[in-house]
Amino acid sequence: MKYFLSRLPGLAFVLLGISLITFTLSYFSPGDRAEAIAHARYPEEIAFPPELLQAIRAEFHLEEPFWLQYLYWFGNVLRGDFGLSYASQTPVWDIFIGNLGETVTLSLTSLGLGLAVAFLLASLAVRHPGTWLDRAAVMLSSIGAAMPSYWLGLLLILGFAVHLGWFPSYGTGTPAHLVLPALTLAFWVMASQTRLLRSFMLEAANQPFVETLRLRGISEREIFFRHVLRHAMVPAMTMIAIDFASLLEGAIIVELTFARSGLGSLLAGSVLSRDLPMVMFLVMFFAVAYVVINSLAEALQAASDPATRTQEQRV
Amino acid sequence: MSEVLLQKSAKLPGSPLSRFKRRTGLVLAVLALGLCIGLWLTPYQPAQANFLNRLAPPEPAHWFGTDHLGRDIGTRLLYGSFWSLGLALVVSLAGLIAGTLVGLLAARSGPFPDALLMRVTDSFFAFPELIAAVAFAGLFGPSTVNLVIALSLVSWMKFARLARSLGLTIGERDFVIQARLNGLTGGLILWRHILPNVLPSLLVLWTSSWSRTILAVSGLSFLGFGVQPPAAEWGAMLLDGKPYMQTAPHIMIFPGLAVLVSVLAINLAGDRLRDLLTQTR
Repeated sequence: MKYFLSRLPGLAFVLLGISLITFTLSYFSPGDRAEAIAHARYPEEIAFPPELLQAIRAEFHLEEPFWLQYLYWFGNVLRGDFGLSYASQTPVWDIFIGNLGETVTLSLTSLGLGLAVAFLLASLAVRHPGTWLDRAAVMLSSIGAAMPSYWLGLLLILGFAVHLGWFPSYGTGTPAHLVLPALTLAFWVMASQTRLLRSFMLEAANQPFVETLRLRGISEREIFFRHVLRHAMVPAMTMIAIDFASLLEGAIIVELTFARSGLGSLLAGSVLSRDLPMVMFLVMFFAVAYVVINSLAEALQAASDPATRTQEQRV
Repeated sequence: MSEVLLQKSAKLPGSPLSRFKRRTGLVLAVLALGLCIGLWLTPYQPAQANFLNRLAPPEPAHWFGTDHLGRDIGTRLLYGSFWSLGLALVVSLAGLIAGTLVGLLAARSGPFPDALLMRVTDSFFAFPELIAAVAFAGLFGPSTVNLVIALSLVSWMKFARLARSLGLTIGERDFVIQARLNGLTGGLILWRHILPNVLPSLLVLWTSSWSRTILAVSGLSFLGFGVQPPAAEWGAMLLDGKPYMQTAPHIMIFPGLAVLVSVLAINLAGDRLRDLLTQTR
């Protein structure tokens, strides 16, 4: 807790930095924002009188200097007002919430699937070091790390949707639609986590206490499941959290490959239709989610690892 | 490879590290030569369409088949390596240079600039690569230039963090203190004493950054936010061939395979380099 509190000022600064970078991105993006807003409000009109554009510019403070505009926008963000989407004239937040579920479902399913396989592979590899099993696990995780997810998605569509016809290839809706995208992302999780878990478990298995347990006559099975695995879980938890943050990002490519609805498709769609409030909100969301998940992971590590704890106390 | 590594290997003839460098150099030379020979031998141009021979499967005249416009996929893959590998190389090098500068600057300037620079680094670090690139390339118009700018903007932070932490530890070592006592200026100390010692670790990170960027470049191009289709970038080729993948699977097998093999090769070389460097420490 103390550790977490000591991190708060830095965290606040980073969040401020994120908002500034996001605002800079939108401020310098080309295109007349007043016209975009006018288009959104009066979709049937083609040309707009200059007075109307002027009024919109005044309403949204578009003619103020950079810093003032930033403060207006940031003030609204702090109050939880993220603006209306240009495209649909509904609050950005509502659209976001409507799409969040799909992405989180996809990410969590893939995480669960990938972790299950990774635990199995890493345990087998560590319990039989140097055998073909070990080498196969390492090779599989190397290939998984190098695999372009969109390509794997296409291969899965080709194999399981086109040739075998087991699962639908595109779209959202039924659980069957979830299978192929989840497999695609799970492969990446499997690769990343197998590698990490294997090295964490190896490290734990080489600790002196393992030899002591062995001398005491405790069975290999018990040593592995009760001691090595638990020991390896400390660093693993952090890495799982970090991978979950990356999964949200990876979901974008997979969602677009499989034409699934979700935050990725929402981002791509709003970027292409130049829906600035939506884009700004999504970019902020991903950045903040990344920071928050990472900080929680760090705090978790600090809380569960006695070594970090004592270091903290010494400081 | 840097001078530093070469000097070190001169002291340790036949060390695994020098053998690795020799072999990597050899492999790279063979690959570059193969690419040149391929470009020279191929009778086709990457944009040369032939409507009489569309979607042809691999055959003697077209080793990797032809795409939906009858363009030779093998030739496009060769030219595509400049796009996919080259653009990623440019981005990762930009990240390496910018990140090293920021990191070393943070390590060598006082505590306040250090804290400020690192918080800025953290702020940029929060933006996931793909999100930032999609937003940037989308808002400013999808193009190769915008793709490179977007990816470069989010490629330097890891280097900055590593360069800073290494710069801090090396800055406390005896030879740096000695150099300062000898009256060397800060810039010279950085260039002659600190940079050579942080470079090997940065190079290991750079290999992984390069391979990640290859995935990002081809992935974004596949999504339409990067290199635009007539160009033979591997991801753009997949985007181009996607509507035809049911009738002609070869059209999507080879570009993806090219990405997979390149990334795998760079990753494995980077892993080996890291292992060797940690052994010599």
